[in-house]
Amino acid sequence: MRRRALGAALVAFALALPVPAAAQDVYTIGLTGALTGPPASTYAPAVDALRIYVDRVNAAGGVNGKKINLILQDDSAQPGKAAANAKKLIAQDNVLLMLNASLSSTYAPVTAEARQANVPLLFASSVCPPTVYPPADPLQFCTTAFAASYDSRATLAFIKETAKEPVKLGFSAMAIPISRGEIDFAEEQSKGMGMTPVAKEIIPPPTPDYTPFATKIKDAGANWGYSWAPWVTQVRTLESLRRLDWKGNFVAWAHLEAEGELARLKDGQFYVVGANALFQDNLPIHAEIREAAKKAGSQYPAEQMAEGWIAGMVIEAALKATGWPATPQKVADAMSNLKVDTRGLRGGPIEWTKDNHFRTRQYYRVYRWDTGKGAIAREKDWYAFDVK
Amino acid sequence: MLASIYALIACGYVLVYRVSRVLNLAHGELMMLGAYMLMLTATQFSGYWPVAIAAAAGLSLLTGVLVYLFLMRKMTGEMVLAAVLTTVALGILLRGVMVLVWSAQQQYPAQALHVTNSSIVLPGGARISFFSMLLVLTTALIYGALLAFLRFGRWGIRMRAAGQSPLLAAQRGINLHAVYALAWGLSTLTGALAGILIALDSGLDQTMATIGLKAFPAALVGGLDSLAGALVGSLVVAAAEVLLIHYVDPLLSEVVPFLVLIAMLVVRPWGLFGTREELDRV
Repeated sequence: MRRRALGAALVAFALALPVPAAAQDVYTIGLTGALTGPPASTYAPAVDALRIYVDRVNAAGGVNGKKINLILQDDSAQPGKAAANAKKLIAQDNVLLMLNASLSSTYAPVTAEARQANVPLLFASSVCPPTVYPPADPLQFCTTAFAASYDSRATLAFIKETAKEPVKLGFSAMAIPISRGEIDFAEEQSKGMGMTPVAKEIIPPPTPDYTPFATKIKDAGANWGYSWAPWVTQVRTLESLRRLDWKGNFVAWAHLEAEGELARLKDGQFYVVGANALFQDNLPIHAEIREAAKKAGSQYPAEQMAEGWIAGMVIEAALKATGWPATPQKVADAMSNLKVDTRGLRGGPIEWTKDNHFRTRQYYRVYRWDTGKGAIAREKDWYAFDVK
Repeated sequence: MLASIYALIACGYVLVYRVSRVLNLAHGELMMLGAYMLMLTATQFSGYWPVAIAAAAGLSLLTGVLVYLFLMRKMTGEMVLAAVLTTVALGILLRGVMVLVWSAQQQYPAQALHVTNSSIVLPGGARISFFSMLLVLTTALIYGALLAFLRFGRWGIRMRAAGQSPLLAAQRGINLHAVYALAWGLSTLTGALAGILIALDSGLDQTMATIGLKAFPAALVGGLDSLAGALVGSLVVAAAEVLLIHYVDPLLSEVVPFLVLIAMLVVRPWGLFGTREELDRV
């Protein structure tokens, strides 16, 4: 009798134990991202958009009848924290897919953890690393709009097409490897396109005063400026140049903040080149995002959510293709043969193949503030580059 | 401009250290909090930017006093290191709270206040933005006022006395807690003014706390117990930074303050205007 009671107690105890996440009836995915810290403004809105998207999918019944369990971990853009997050997501949460939404300095530890555990890694809103371009690493994928070297090619092509006078280019980059590398690339490219690079300023991140850097660009006689860096460096360089009464044209990458910033600056000679359609286009999907953001009570404006929304669409499609039961390998296989219609948020679909985990074509649009109309105007419609 | 930023921030480090011997490593975060408070007051006083700035500065002064009363006061009698570590913890807490309340995105108080940051042409053709000029003038005004206050003001003299010998000051009937609270309040006020004016000039984001840290070497170069030293130290550090950006390599700007600091520690460890006695105490 005592033995039977003990056995019953053990069974009851075993039943009461928490079930490991992997064994639960959900798709568990985990993200390490810069939700706080200096560069958070570039990543946090995208992560919030992804959270809202996943909540919507779950509310509609999930994927293949299973809910998505999205675990968010803040790494403050610190490699050490990112490594600890990756370890925890893999070992403790048994994620099927890991996401990175942080500075490139966090890539090495996160990639190492993912590779060791054979878990696919998606870069969503963080810059795409070289390993997602052909020939791609089998476990690494990227949905982020910006793409090293392609962005500068697109920008320089636009400048060449638009400029009516010989182009003297002043560059500005943030003192981080990815930004410096891109501006070095652009400097070389511009020479081959008949432009004259006259200044290149590499600006450290916590700079309180951009005037010394802007002064050098202005004094060098630049009539066009180009910056490919986190938004703060791009826009503060431009604002400092304008305060110095610089009259040239300035081109920057259209980060999440671009739409609000074009409206704030109202500068007719400030162009943003980007791969996401701005919300002023008023597509049906833009209305959908606006409504979802409002309903979720997000701290961030809907205009900054396209990047996270696209990541959500891709994850949903990948999990749908994975089926159930899911394993990290099955998810990676599904992602290696995926085509997602972005419904106008991008110029074309996100298409991944076995060798290309970036996209097969990269589309660009150019916007600026139309001072006459008092609104954002599309300066150049979608133009594309094949990704080989 | 850069020297003014460093000077306005550095005087906050000096005020607290001079009076209580505590290195306030949350000064950058308190400065950022002051700037975020402007976002708060901007919604109340939109269109009246001087009122919004004054209200944010007042709230910052109050915050500094409250930080002393509810946190640093408990550290009285403890090791100085414990107090310094407490300020580190306070900084981490403040950073987290600010993200939760105001989010991580870039903010523009000038836009919220509907004020234009126009460009002003100076004699010789140089240009400066309106809020940069205001920052330079504010720095001059704050230093003038603080030097006069510490030399002639009743509470200023009490602050100096408490800094020189807390025991004797207490025996003479000076309320040390009130003096320390005032020092924390004034320190947070000056830091917040720097944060507010930087935010009005070029926007506000999470990097502002790092700017606060960059001003720390300026205070050390001048001598941590000297207000005039903080001013001269800021000029030295900023001049070195701008000259190296212009003539050598822009990337040096990140390390210049610390290079100048190391050079100073080798040649004159107590700073340009500091005293050896203070160094011994540290």
